[in-house]
Amino acid sequence: MSRVETPDEASGAMIRTKDLRKVHHADGTDVHAIRGIDLVVRPGEFVAVMGPSGSGKSTVLHLLAGLVPATTGEIWLRGNRLSELSEADRAVLRRRHVGVVFQFFNLISNMTVADNVELPALLAGASPKQARTRREHLLEELGLSDRADTSPARLSGGQQQRVALARALANEPSLLLADEPTGNLDSTNTRDVVRLLESVHDQGQTILLVTHDARVASAADRVISLFDGMIVDDADIRPAYDSKNTIGSILDL
Amino acid sequence: MRSVLLALLAKESAHGYELKQALEQTFGSAYPSPNIGQVYVTLGRLEKDGLVRGEDVTQSNRPNKRVYDLTPAGREAVAEWLDAPSDGPRLRSEFFVKLTLAPLAGAADRMTLINRQRRHCLNLMRGLTEPGHPEERGNRVATLLVEGARLHLQADLEWLERCQEALT
Amino acid sequence: MHATIRWIRADLRTRPGQALLSVSVVAGVVTALILAITMLAGAMDPWKGVFARSNGAHVWIHAPAGTDLTPLSHMDGVTGVSGPYQTTAATAVHEGQRAPLELRAMGSELPEVGRPVLAKGHWLDPSRSGGIVLERTLARVLRIEVGDTLNVRGLDARQHDLQVAGIADESDQGPYPAVTPGLVWALPGTVSGIEPDTESTELLIGLKLSDQSASDFFVQHAVTVLGGDRVSRVSTWHQVRASMEVDSRLLGLLLGMFGVVALIAAALAIGNATGGRILSLLQDIALLKALGFTPAQIRRMLLLEQTCLGIAGVILGIIAGSVLTTSSLSQRLFGSVTGTATAPLSLGRLALIAVATVATVAVATLLPAWRGSRVSPTSTVTAEPPSGRLSRFARVALLVRLPPALVLGARDAFTRRMRAIMTIGGLAIPMVMVTIALGCWSTLDNFEDHPEEIGLAGALIARPVGQQDYEAATVIAADRDVAAVYPEEQTDALLPGQTRTIQARALGTSKQPYPFPIHDGRMYARPGEAVAGQGLLDLLHVHVGDRIRLTVTGVPVIIHIVGRTIEPSLSGEVLSFGMDTLQQSGAPTSRLSYRIVLRHGAAVDAVRTRLLRESADKLDIQTAQNPAQRLLIVRVVILGLLIVLALIGAANLLTAASVGLRDHLRDIVVLRAMGLTPRQVTTALVAGTSVLALIAVIAGIGGGLAMSTWLIDLQGRTSGIGAGIGRAPTVFGLALAALAALGLAALTAFVLARKAISIDVREVSRF
Repeated sequence: MSRVETPDEASGAMIRTKDLRKVHHADGTDVHAIRGIDLVVRPGEFVAVMGPSGSGKSTVLHLLAGLVPATTGEIWLRGNRLSELSEADRAVLRRRHVGVVFQFFNLISNMTVADNVELPALLAGASPKQARTRREHLLEELGLSDRADTSPARLSGGQQQRVALARALANEPSLLLADEPTGNLDSTNTRDVVRLLESVHDQGQTILLVTHDARVASAADRVISLFDGMIVDDADIRPAYDSKNTIGSILDL
Repeated sequence: MRSVLLALLAKESAHGYELKQALEQTFGSAYPSPNIGQVYVTLGRLEKDGLVRGEDVTQSNRPNKRVYDLTPAGREAVAEWLDAPSDGPRLRSEFFVKLTLAPLAGAADRMTLINRQRRHCLNLMRGLTEPGHPEERGNRVATLLVEGARLHLQADLEWLERCQEALT
Repeated sequence: MHATIRWIRADLRTRPGQALLSVSVVAGVVTALILAITMLAGAMDPWKGVFARSNGAHVWIHAPAGTDLTPLSHMDGVTGVSGPYQTTAATAVHEGQRAPLELRAMGSELPEVGRPVLAKGHWLDPSRSGGIVLERTLARVLRIEVGDTLNVRGLDARQHDLQVAGIADESDQGPYPAVTPGLVWALPGTVSGIEPDTESTELLIGLKLSDQSASDFFVQHAVTVLGGDRVSRVSTWHQVRASMEVDSRLLGLLLGMFGVVALIAAALAIGNATGGRILSLLQDIALLKALGFTPAQIRRMLLLEQTCLGIAGVILGIIAGSVLTTSSLSQRLFGSVTGTATAPLSLGRLALIAVATVATVAVATLLPAWRGSRVSPTSTVTAEPPSGRLSRFARVALLVRLPPALVLGARDAFTRRMRAIMTIGGLAIPMVMVTIALGCWSTLDNFEDHPEEIGLAGALIARPVGQQDYEAATVIAADRDVAAVYPEEQTDALLPGQTRTIQARALGTSKQPYPFPIHDGRMYARPGEAVAGQGLLDLLHVHVGDRIRLTVTGVPVIIHIVGRTIEPSLSGEVLSFGMDTLQQSGAPTSRLSYRIVLRHGAAVDAVRTRLLRESADKLDIQTAQNPAQRLLIVRVVILGLLIVLALIGAANLLTAASVGLRDHLRDIVVLRAMGLTPRQVTTALVAGTSVLALIAVIAGIGGGLAMSTWLIDLQGRTSGIGAGIGRAPTVFGLALAALAALGLAALTAFVLARKAISIDVREVSRF
């Protein structure tokens, strides 16, 4: 990773991809999960990625996080070209600059909530004391301070996702990536998580999440629609302010 | 019915009976089969509004048939109709009709239609949760209404995805 | 590093059972290694153990009564003094045997240097006068136990009946009867009671030196200081050690084998356990990677965790092993097995065991750790077992209407093919070792039950005490239980061009050869022909059929080696031919003895006593030493090995069962919903593990049987005794081992299944 200012850093793009492609090889057949995606995300943007199952949404997220390598094409994350980095280098990049929230299995099963939230800070090199301070702050903000010593298995789904978010934000990452963060949650918990995301976004966090939930997607500034491994639509969301009739127009009262 | 006939005529001129046949062929048993009288009445109204133009064509051993054609105004109306997103329960019928007929109309490609409709749904959804909305005030009835609206919008979006998969 | 430690701490906290298992396995192996190496090292070098335990003196000097020995203690290089003690000569008579004795006067308090190491009974006690303590080898030859009475005759032929209070080891003299006289300790009062005339006694002093290599110089110096006429006898530790040397090749091999086997078995168990554990962690590992752990970090983390557990196990094992080898009770136990006092292991050896074990643990963890670090960070369903197709066996079983639970269990045992193979291997390899161990046991049993098969057809050896051999043979042959008598003459043969002599033995005649067990070639049938042990063939680099040139008591002869026999003595470096060969070569016969082969089923001791009576004490009759007796230690080691293997097998089983359990947690819920009763669910789980165990047992026993005899014969061959000693394990032993293994497998599965049944449904469906 050279320190010459790349065009991305100059222009400030958080994510940039160029003709990104990913092919899975399974059981002798090739599955083209991503068929050429060009994408730019600016710092502070809140982007939602939607699409039917099989459209490659999760794969895009995994690629952007550096969890899997792309087959062809380029990804620049904060100006770092991911194809140049080894698996270990991507891990190091991820631990400092990317927070990831998955749909399931977000928490290490044999560690308490506190340990889980402190882990990223420790990993990035913070001292145990610093990690603890940050953890206490985060859990308090999320209203989970009393659960600090519980094991994840004892938490409800909504609590688990909130802890996962706390953990993802522990290192104040440049980018928050979330894969169906509300996929398993009921409506109330979904609302809470959406509010959390919105508040974090208000503080300037760049967010890219994958979802099939319209409510979650509509909280974003920008919705990208994927279909069959390609982007078919990329639009900004503006609230329909003729909202007096909004409900009426939907429900036909 | 009006917009449907206009869209059908956008492709080529036809007389009433052909239009009825076209309706039946395109939509099959899903669309209620219109009786020919309704078709002629709607055509008449359209002509009166200046959106179509009828012309009698003489036939040798049959009564004359009236062939209809779109006027420029009519073409504009079709375009507007296609462009404007649909709402609520009319979505399924109207939007679906648009989606099916659009290629016939030579108008915007299906994907664009779907995209546009999707954007609209998302914007509506966003509008439901903006501050100042009844939900914020903790009004239980209003909250239920909002929830209902949300669920419908979610269903509509998923249906849009199905359409996308099937028709493009 | 903080993150790594945090994770390890959390993991150990939440999975204490698995951690405990790893620690126990390592501790068990280390303890077993310490015990085995202590015993075997003691048996291989008996002198060293006794010398250390007795704080032995390097030089012992006998001087006439009245000599002033104080100058010796002030000499340069002397760091400790033992005695001086009053000694006198005497004779012991016991059950027809006579033994020359040296009675030593010692107080009830044991000295600091040159201290006799008590093996049985207790030391001299002033309140019980007339008690004596015998040296162990003397007691063995006289067949005396603690509590018996020994008839001692002084120089004035007066008889004293003294009670044996204890038996001890001493490092200042070699073993009786190779070295005479036999040692007896008694209180000063008892000694003076036997020999009141002090002029007839001697003084004995032992000196411990700072530099043991200077013993010979010291002796020179000491003799000069005292004056040549004031020294009757001197011995140094060199001589003692040489006389205590035993053939240790076999034991050395055994030591090596045990160590390697124990470590391999431990590596297997740990590898299995770690692999199973990592399998349950795959989900977490994927998440750790997503959080930013590099693959190298994951590997280091897993390795570190397991190594720390290994170190804990090693420390525990060393503590347990040290306690067991230094407590006086266990030392006496070892002593009775090895036949001498054993010293605890040196710090250096303990450190070696520790390092070797920790290294084994680390290596065993390498592969599972590497595979664990390769998990893709995006896998969310790695916890699912790959779906297995219904195997042909399962389909047939279903057709035949086996209970569905059994079929499900058996089929599911193979869903993870790699794990199934590892589990089978983890059980089969200990089974192979168990089979080989049982083969060793059978071989030793064969030594005892059929001594003629290892060249010990003659149970008794008779030496005339001043009688013509003609009469002795007749007298002996007349006994009703004697089947045959073979004259024997042992002599040294010199090899041309070598400074070494070999043991040549004339036994039987060419017409009536001794019943050697011949494994290659044939028995000698003419003068000039001979059979040799494997050790001799190796030593001379010859084969059966070769001719060699020897000088026997100054007479050169040419010997044709026509056969190979099993030769348990002197590492097989013995040449045997007929008496007529010796007579023909003209070598004088001088030390004649007779080997007596008894009728089948005769009681050896009874015949011996009878012969002694009939020969009116003119014959000295000894029982032939069976190496099986010396190899008692091997039996103990085998038992220890079996225990370690059982431990390892159990550890592997636990791992297999718990992995199976985890895979099926979800399935169990579904099965119960489908209507399978808890008993059927248990049956399914037990069946799964049992099928694997059955395959492992069959494979292990099969492999072991194929290798056992071959391996034992290999050992016999390399130790010089000769191939052909190996015997297959008994059916009974194998059946017992198989049943034990299967039973253990079913039990572990059963216990875990009960636990699975009671798991809360909600907890499971969460996943």
